Amino acid sequence: MTASPIVEIRQLSKTYPGAGRPAVDGVDLAIAHGRIFGLLGPNGAGKTTLLSMLCGLLPPSSGSLRIRGQDVRHQDAAIKRRLGLAPQDLALYPYLTARENLAYFGGMLGLHGAALRRRLDYCLDTAGLNDVADRRVETFSGGLKRRLNLVIALLHEPELLILDEPTVGIDPQSRRFIHENLKRLNAEGMSIIYTSHYMEEVEQLCDEVAIIDHGRIIAQGSVDELLAAPREATIELRTSVPPPPAAQAALRALAHVHTAEFDGKFVVLTSAAPQTVAPAAMRLLHENGVETTSLSFGAMHLEQVFLALTGTRLRN
Amino acid sequence: MLTIFHRLAAAVIKEIRLILRDKEALIILFIMPMVFVLILSLALRDSFHERAGVRFALLIVNQDRGPVGDKLVEIFSQSANFRTEVVTANGPVPSAAALDADLRAGRYKFAFRIPPKTSERALRRVQQQLGLQPTGKVPEASVALTLLSDPTVRGDQRALVQAALNRALQGVESGMLLQQFAAIGKRLAPFAANVPGVPALRAPKTLDAFAEVKDPDETGKPYKEQTPTSVQQNAPAWTMLAMFFLVIPLSVTLIKERQVGSLTRLQSMGAPAWVLLAGKILPYFVINQVQLVLILIEGMYVLPLFGGDVLTIGDAPVAIALVSVAASLAAIGFGLLIASFSRTPEQATTFGATSVLVLAAVGGIMVPKLVMPPAMQRLGDLSPMSWGLEGFLDIFVRGGGVAEVLPECSQLLVFAAVCLIIAVWQFARRMANVS
Ligand SMILES: Nc1ncnc2c1ncn2[C@@H]1O[C@H](COP(=O)(O)OP(=O)(O)OP(=O)(O)O)[C@@H](O)[C@H]1O
Ligand SMILES: [Mg+2]
Repeated sequence: MTASPIVEIRQLSKTYPGAGRPAVDGVDLAIAHGRIFGLLGPNGAGKTTLLSMLCGLLPPSSGSLRIRGQDVRHQDAAIKRRLGLAPQDLALYPYLTARENLAYFGGMLGLHGAALRRRLDYCLDTAGLNDVADRRVETFSGGLKRRLNLVIALLHEPELLILDEPTVGIDPQSRRFIHENLKRLNAEGMSIIYTSHYMEEVEQLCDEVAIIDHGRIIAQGSVDELLAAPREATIELRTSVPPPPAAQAALRALAHVHTAEFDGKFVVLTSAAPQTVAPAAMRLLHENGVETTSLSFGAMHLEQVFLALTGTRLRN
Repeated sequence: MLTIFHRLAAAVIKEIRLILRDKEALIILFIMPMVFVLILSLALRDSFHERAGVRFALLIVNQDRGPVGDKLVEIFSQSANFRTEVVTANGPVPSAAALDADLRAGRYKFAFRIPPKTSERALRRVQQQLGLQPTGKVPEASVALTLLSDPTVRGDQRALVQAALNRALQGVESGMLLQQFAAIGKRLAPFAANVPGVPALRAPKTLDAFAEVKDPDETGKPYKEQTPTSVQQNAPAWTMLAMFFLVIPLSVTLIKERQVGSLTRLQSMGAPAWVLLAGKILPYFVINQVQLVLILIEGMYVLPLFGGDVLTIGDAPVAIALVSVAASLAAIGFGLLIASFSRTPEQATTFGATSVLVLAAVGGIMVPKLVMPPAMQRLGDLSPMSWGLEGFLDIFVRGGGVAEVLPECSQLLVFAAVCLIIAVWQFARRMANVS
């Protein structure tokens, strides 16, 4: 790694009081300066918990967290000023306009006068909110709210921007707009941590990715590395009717099939020999009176890596 | 230093914007108390007057152009118990119907008419009684005076006024009798000079009663028993309630900010906890002071336009400010306490409204403590709203200053400090629970 790490996390764990198992479990991460770092994980994986500890909002149960070599637990205001957090839940005042929301948070950061106005204009520009700047946030669409929620984190020109699922519930246009802005900010030198459950956007946006599940980092590296890693391929089949139990048992028993998961008319198999397994699986299904309507395998998408790593079971 | 100022300014501006856009909060904090002050000051005006000592509006229609009419007008004009208006024979005299209408409308509580030539008739009668008029003539009938009254006047009050009128008439009659005796004495003087021990008789200039029943001196009364006017009671009482009602918007915004994550966001930005706390306390403190000023202005300038008493506020503005600051801190402390123990805005609203209304009812805000039995009064002494109210009454009614309100202010400040400490402790406990 050429760039010096801006964030270093060692053996970080967090168990909420009364919880049976840790929400973050022995995480080691080094995030390089000047990168866009993607943190991927299904619901409840521990992403928000990890970011909260990173921002000094939540004390870790064990382990250490350093930002630019300084321990976060010292609660140094100078460290906090280097971070800008856009929380997952919209932290906005619906009865205030976009400009008033920004002015309040800016004021609480100690900005005032011309400097405050300059930052307000910058943030409104960046979020593309100039036309609605003086409208109350309660009248905003989900996309506008998300964009405002994001740029509030830019008010104090942080070195490291931390975005907790910044694109949930917004349309592709808004998402592209946000991504372009993030790329520009990154090009200007800002480091970004980006959490999401959307694989394609991480694939498009991020230089480096960590996949987290059940509080553990289960894979980490550049997007290319993750895609290229020798790994079992996933074979996805869509069937005319849900396969009956007998067919499911036969598929699991099929030669070279490693795992088989069933979700209605979806079948996901993993295998080191997809070229052999795919036609065999179709034939077997046909013999059980189930037709295959679509089949895909090979050219891995990050989504498939993700599913392969985290499984397809529904999370709570 | 300067950034602290800007941070607090940002917090105050934002909170005031939120309040101004929250119609329910505006109604609770400003409209409701001002309406209550107006309605209750007017509605209770007279019953407070009666407690403070009766002062009836009286109309005398004086058609007599002689000493009897003048003397009666003088007596009633000087009485502390009457606010007397006089119509003389020189001006237009109201008709019986007009007088009746005025009484019914409550413009006057009582009225009586002194008929023309009353003085002449009284003189003739006195002289007849002394045998000074030629005998054989028809005896002069007594002058008929009718006391008219507002139909809502209570019977005992009417009897009192009637007695006062009778006493005045008797005084006038005694004076006339003495004058007659003096006149006789003057004529007898040449003869009396020869009789040892008989002084020259002369009519006294003024007729002093040998004894007179006086009102107790207000200033000599036990300090706490001096009675306020209805606006002096109601204005500070509803100000206290209004101040404490900010418990609701204060705790609701605080809980919403916690729920929605803006507190988290502020923490992540490194805003120190005390700035967040001050950023809540300061705007609501400003709102409290605006409430007081608005209600004082209402009492002093608006209420009189509706026929209410003018609110007099003593002459100790520093003491008023002191009570107001202490009461506001107590209310804010209480609001933070409620916020720290509530999980949802609904809980805070219910718990806040109930506790504030109970403290108000007990503390003599809705029903003055004057009319409560002693046991209830002692219970009321436990309510912080009562401390604030008593502080204002010390200044408005009893002429108190800073020294007189120090006990109430200390009570309020101790209450505020205790609430704040418990609230901070509870907030800290919650934070620790999350971690
Ligand atoms: N305040 C809390 N108290 C107790 N448990 C919590 C708390 N917050 C989160 N958890 C639990 O910790 C685990 C991780 O939650 P976290 O919110 O960090 O996940 P996440 O990856 O952000 O999920 P999502 O994608 O749904 O936002 C979950 O099992 C969750 O139920
Ligand atoms: Mg989350």
